[in-house]
This record gives sequence, structure tokens and C-alpha cells, in this order.
Amino acid sequence: MSFPKKPVDNVRSAKTPEEVLSRIREVFGDAVSAELRERKGGKEDRVGFYDAWLSVPKEEFLNLVDTLAEFDFPQFHVISGNDDGDVVTLYYHFTLFQVAGRGKRIGVNVSVPVDKKDLVMPSLFSRIPGVEYSERETREMFGVDFDGLPNKALVFLPENWNESIKPWRRDEAGPSAGDVRELS
Amino acid sequence: MEKKYKVPIGPVHVGLKEPITAWLDLEGEKIVGATVRPGAIHRGIEFMARDRNPIQVIYLSERICGICSFAHVVCFLRAVEDAASIPVPPRAQYIRALVLELERLHSHMLWAGVACYTIGFDSAFHLGMVLRERVMDVLEVLSGNRVNYGVATVGGVRWDVTAELSKTVKDMVKYYKREFSPFYDVVTADPIAKARLRDVGVLTYEEAIAHSAVGPTVRASGVRADLRESSPYEAYVDFGVKAVVPQDYYGKAYGDVFDRFLVRVHEVYQSLDIIEKVMEGLPEGDIMWEKNLNKVLAYLKKAEGTGMSSIEAPRGDDTHVVHLDGGDENVTWWKVRAPTYSNAVSWPLMFKDNELADAPLIINSIDPCISCMERMLVTDASSGDQKVVTRTELLEKCREKTRRLMQNDRN
Repeated sequence: MSFPKKPVDNVRSAKTPEEVLSRIREVFGDAVSAELRERKGGKEDRVGFYDAWLSVPKEEFLNLVDTLAEFDFPQFHVISGNDDGDVVTLYYHFTLFQVAGRGKRIGVNVSVPVDKKDLVMPSLFSRIPGVEYSERETREMFGVDFDGLPNKALVFLPENWNESIKPWRRDEAGPSAGDVRELS
Repeated sequence: MEKKYKVPIGPVHVGLKEPITAWLDLEGEKIVGATVRPGAIHRGIEFMARDRNPIQVIYLSERICGICSFAHVVCFLRAVEDAASIPVPPRAQYIRALVLELERLHSHMLWAGVACYTIGFDSAFHLGMVLRERVMDVLEVLSGNRVNYGVATVGGVRWDVTAELSKTVKDMVKYYKREFSPFYDVVTADPIAKARLRDVGVLTYEEAIAHSAVGPTVRASGVRADLRESSPYEAYVDFGVKAVVPQDYYGKAYGDVFDRFLVRVHEVYQSLDIIEKVMEGLPEGDIMWEKNLNKVLAYLKKAEGTGMSSIEAPRGDDTHVVHLDGGDENVTWWKVRAPTYSNAVSWPLMFKDNELADAPLIINSIDPCISCMERMLVTDASSGDQKVVTRTELLEKCREKTRRLMQNDRN
């Protein structure tokens, strides 16, 4: 695998977003869909940087992260997501080229649908230890388990929390009306 | 053999922005391991947002944090504007940058002052607090408030820069250029302060990258990462911001508490320069994409999409992700990742092999709220005895170490 086992010095020379996306298309073909967003600003409405939005099936997720790591050590922001009915969709937010100079950073947002029949994702912990809190949070809030995550203790919910309630789920696993106390 | 203790720092006070508990494993005074347990008070803000429309969530996001409230608002709004493709007029972008930098000024000065207080350097703490008042006054002139300014809205800002405000801002910049250097000199030149801050709570370059540390914490480890440079957003597209790293000033990055101090005080100067550029380059024009709030809400109700934004808040990269469903007036889902969420992952590494007396300093060094240490529970592992160490006692322990150093210095 190409993933740098040792956290490397971040690369100083960035690739363009098109180069990154064409490599991803080369490896995954139609399995990964990609959208590139220009983020503009300033008086002349110039492009400041780019955000890439990718969606990938669960089985290709680790390969995709390893492909990103061919370019640079992916800086991890957070996992966000939503209960979309039959699946829980997770969005992993990464950065490439964070130290490669002005305007070179590319935000990489990867969405992965996780089927509710098999709510398990491979953990990124051995690759990027910074994912720990986010994976633990996703586990307690959505009930998505992470294969390979060493510490699966609750992170934000209290110790005496009834763990069968997953606060961000919208189905029967989520909080019922009786579990929510209105403050006003 | 030294007695072994397991010491929890925390849990926390209701009014805090990022509640954290740290369990420290001690051999005598030495910290040999640490486990961090956040979320003693998880308020479920993201869950609450599901019942609110984006305009209402502005005021919710403002209350995530009392210090960097504006950074959270701008970050949330940029995510909404990304999801709904709403443009922000240049003048509004400049005013947002102005308030973001004012906020960074007061946040960094508060931190630097409190760091001095933690080691018992009270005269420097008072000096820092006096300095901070000036920027608080400016924020009050702009918005009428010292915290939670209510300045930004979807597609722009609500308050314009008046002639009175520009004069106040210009006077403030002049004041800081004159008055801030004594504070900097006093702390950096003081041998005791340096002895307390240097080589304490070290986070190496590689650790900082692997654990995705952000903001002054990652920069103090020598990583040249600043979102204002690497991904210039809004008005920052027009300014050449460069990441402040210790090796540019001292030739080498140690990644310790002193370097975190250094990065923040140099960022005060950097923010002053940016504020000057904002005021010089402030474009004319509208400050809102649409003034009629009902039209904005009607547009947002139809909008469909997922948007995200990362901006450089005083403590580092703040990330918000928002999803809007067409036909639903409320925010469908929202994820907030405050900078401390990332930096706290690195705490166990920083604690390792330091003294208990340095624990408050290390916790403080990533700039969470110092009141996180309201009380501590010391457990004697061999007998199971428990004893509550109050914040005052812990602080006294930290100051005692400074006095010891001063004594040695005299001898």
C-alpha cells in the first residue's frame, strides 16, 4: 500500500485538483463520482482554492484514502453524516497540500453510504491517528462501528447513557419523543 | 518506589465551550500517561439545529463558544452559502475579515495573559488584560456587544463600518503597535517565564501532522499550516497572509508551550497588519446579498445541497458542514468541528513525561478554557483513597514551581 506508514513531512509542491481527480478516475473509473467546486472570494471574485466532493462505495473507501495519500499525508478534519433511510451516509473531510503554499490546499470531502444491515466501516486509526474522536463520535451518535479502532469508549455522551439510543439516527434507533426534553 | 496515582482533570463547568476531562497517570510528580474524555457536557447543539431554520441557527452557532463566536458564525454561514450557492458582496467579506481578526486579537491576548497567570506571573497577566480591553471596546463600538456580536447573516453582514468605527479601529492599531511590545518583551525576556514554558508539553512536527493538530498548536510544532494562506477564503484572497512559525523567529521549532506562546503573540502583530489592509482596501457597495429576510428564508427553503467550510479561527481550523433539503425550511443536518476537537487528540502526547505542576499549563497551551480544571480528583491507586484537589490548590502547585525556580535563580 502506498499509505505513508510514518507521518511524513507534508509535501511542499502541490498537484492541481485536476491532476488529483484524474488519478482517482484512473484508479476507480466509474466507481467514484467527483465534483469540483471553485471557492471564490475577494474584490475581483477570484478562485481562492478548490473543494473536491467524492462519493465512493464502502468497499473502495480504504483504497481511495490510500490513493489520496499518494499525493500528501491527508489532514483529517471530521466525519459528518446523516441517516438517509436505508443507509447512514458518512462524509469524511480531508485536506491535501496544507503546507504547499498559497492557495494550494484542496479540500477533499468523501461521502460513503453505509448500509444499515451492516453498519461497520474500516477504521482509519492505523493510518491517521487523528481520526480517533470522530470515529468514536460517529459510533455513539449513529451506531456505525469501526473495524480496527482500539478505543471504542463513549466520547461525548455521558457514562450513564443508554447506548441503545443513537442520538443522530432518524429511525427507531434514534431518540423517541419521550427522550427529548424541551428546554423552553 | 514512587506512589502511582490516577488523576482526572475535569469534568467541567456548564458555561464552557469545550468540556474536557483528562485522566493522568502519575508516578510521583511525573505524568506517564494520559487519557482524555471530552463531553462531560455535550449540549447537542447539532441536534437542536434540526428544528431551526438557517437564520435561527446563526444565533445558536454564536453560542458554541464565547471567545470565537464570530468564527463559528462565519464558518456556519460559509457552509450554508456553499450549499445554497449564495454570493457574499466584497464589502461584507472585508467586514467579516475585520471582525475575525479583531476576535483573534482579543482571543490571543486573553490566552497570553492567562498563560502568565497560570505560572504565577500576575503582573504580566494584568498587563495582558489591560491591553485586551481596547479591542473589546472596538467590538462594542461595532456591534454594541462584547461577546456574541450578531454581525454576520446569510449572504453578508448586518452592521456596516461607519466613520466612527474606522477611526476607533485605526486608533486601536496605533495603540497596539505602541503598547504591545512591552508585554511581549516582559514575557519572552523573563528567564523564569522561559524556564516554565520552554520544553514543556512538546508536540513534535510529525506527531502534529499525524494527529491532525490545527492552528497555533500545529504551527508551534513548525508546520506551516494556516488556512488563510493555504486556502484563502473571502477577503483573504486579496491579502498575502503567511503562516507564523517559530523557526522563522528563533531558527528552530521546539513544539513546546513557549513556541505556542510565541506563535500567538506574533499573530497579534499579523492580525494588526491584516486589519490595516482591510481598512485601507475596504470596497464600497452592499453589505448583504438580500436585505429582505423573508426572501432569504424563502430562497433557503428551496435550496438543496451539502456545503462545508473550514476557516482559520483563533484556535485553528474550524470546520462546519451543513445540509439543506429542498422544501424543508430547517437545517437538515449540521456538523461542527471546533479546533479543540482536533487539538485535544494530541494532549496525551503533550502530557507525557511532564510534571503534574505543568498540567494546567499544557492544557491551557492549546487554548481551551482554563476553567475546565474547576476541580480535580486524586485517587490513591494502592488504597483506593480519594481526595479532591481544588482548582486553587492546583494553581498554587503550579505557582509554587515558579517560586522554586526563582529561589534557585537567586542562589
